Amino acid sequence: MAYTLQFGQVTPYLGYLAGGAWLALQLAAIGFVVGWAIGLVCAAILHYGPWLPRKIVRAYVVFFLNTPLLVQIFFIYFALPDWGIVLSSFQAVVIGMSLNAGAYLTEIQRAGFNSIRREEIEAAETLGFSRLQSIRHVIVPHICKVLFPPLSNQYIILTMTTSIAAIFGVEELTGRTYNINAQTFRALEIFSIAALYYVALTLVASAALYSIGRYFFRIKGKVF
Amino acid sequence: MAALLEEAPRFFGYYNMLFLGQAFAFTALLSLVGCGGGFVFGFGLAVLRSERIVRFAPLRWVATVYVELFRRIPFLVKLMVIFFAFQLAGFDVSGFVVAATTVALSASAFSAENVRAGLEAVHKNQWDAAEAMNMGGLTALRRVILPQAWRIIIPPSMTYSVGLVKSTSIVSQIGVFELTYAAKILNQKGFSAGICFGTILLLYFALCYPLNLMAARLESKLAPSRH
Repeated sequence: MAYTLQFGQVTPYLGYLAGGAWLALQLAAIGFVVGWAIGLVCAAILHYGPWLPRKIVRAYVVFFLNTPLLVQIFFIYFALPDWGIVLSSFQAVVIGMSLNAGAYLTEIQRAGFNSIRREEIEAAETLGFSRLQSIRHVIVPHICKVLFPPLSNQYIILTMTTSIAAIFGVEELTGRTYNINAQTFRALEIFSIAALYYVALTLVASAALYSIGRYFFRIKGKVF
Repeated sequence: MAALLEEAPRFFGYYNMLFLGQAFAFTALLSLVGCGGGFVFGFGLAVLRSERIVRFAPLRWVATVYVELFRRIPFLVKLMVIFFAFQLAGFDVSGFVVAATTVALSASAFSAENVRAGLEAVHKNQWDAAEAMNMGGLTALRRVILPQAWRIIIPPSMTYSVGLVKSTSIVSQIGVFELTYAAKILNQKGFSAGICFGTILLLYFALCYPLNLMAARLESKLAPSRH
């Protein structure tokens, strides 16, 4: 049985799909911002905290880095109700994604903290910088330059990760693709179009992040 | 918590353990086949993208477009496209083959990037020197560049492979038997979600943590000396 591709049948749904892409971007943004905040706090604890909090943060990071996000969300969504915590699928996905992103962003930001050298701060002191000035002119520019590339990379990865939300019935880009597939049965067509949407989303994000990095932090590097 | 303890002896019975053990083996096999095949394919792609070896530019562009496309499509969407493509092309293959193909195609795109980064880390003069000694592109790659580049290629490739081990949980969506699917079956048989998913979380951890440790150790061990 030969199968002919018929893109004509799915074109009316392109706008509906774009709405899903918008939700995917929102999910990625929420996950990134919350994960970044978690990562900042955890990295600070790993760097300056006392023994016990350090061990706890370490356990959190190691556990979340070595288990699949999908199963983490399964656990949050299906197992937590047994202990009285009932979450909607959207909440479960957001919490799972944020915790997962938090673990990755802790690792990234810890590396950023580690990249500051004592000599830099001493040099700033020798030049007569006050503490605030040395943070403003030496430490922050340095940290931004070191952290920007891996952080933007993580954002791109997170945009693609949002597709997992479809498994829990959240109607983002992949979720809406499932819906269209159920209505039209043009599976190959609509899933390839969804794939192209993701390519477009991440390409635009990559290009924008590259320009930001180049303009604000003088990061030189290849785009592709 | 008490309910969990009460259920535990029944859950950790002989047949359930056999079932989970099989699922664990399938996850490991899927990752091994997918990542192994993907690395070989990705290595070929990286070689195709090298200006020193392939002089015909359009061929390099094709490889670049392939890598950029496949790096930017989520695993779940890739899985669905490949699943339906196999089905509609009329190939009657098992779910495991579909899953392994997806893992391999994902791995190929990421491996191609890692290998390319490794090849580019070797100084340009090395290529020139090899050319001056009348070596062709592939001979130079094999005898001059790779002996220096492999230390840079291996550690990140391993880290990415562990990432793909975690991604294999998504293939449960098309009904391929592996850890996540096994947990869903046990859950439907009436065991609580906490004990099912909690157990496989630990099993995934047992698979990924040693591999990640090994990657980190390799990275510090193989790090090229800075001269």
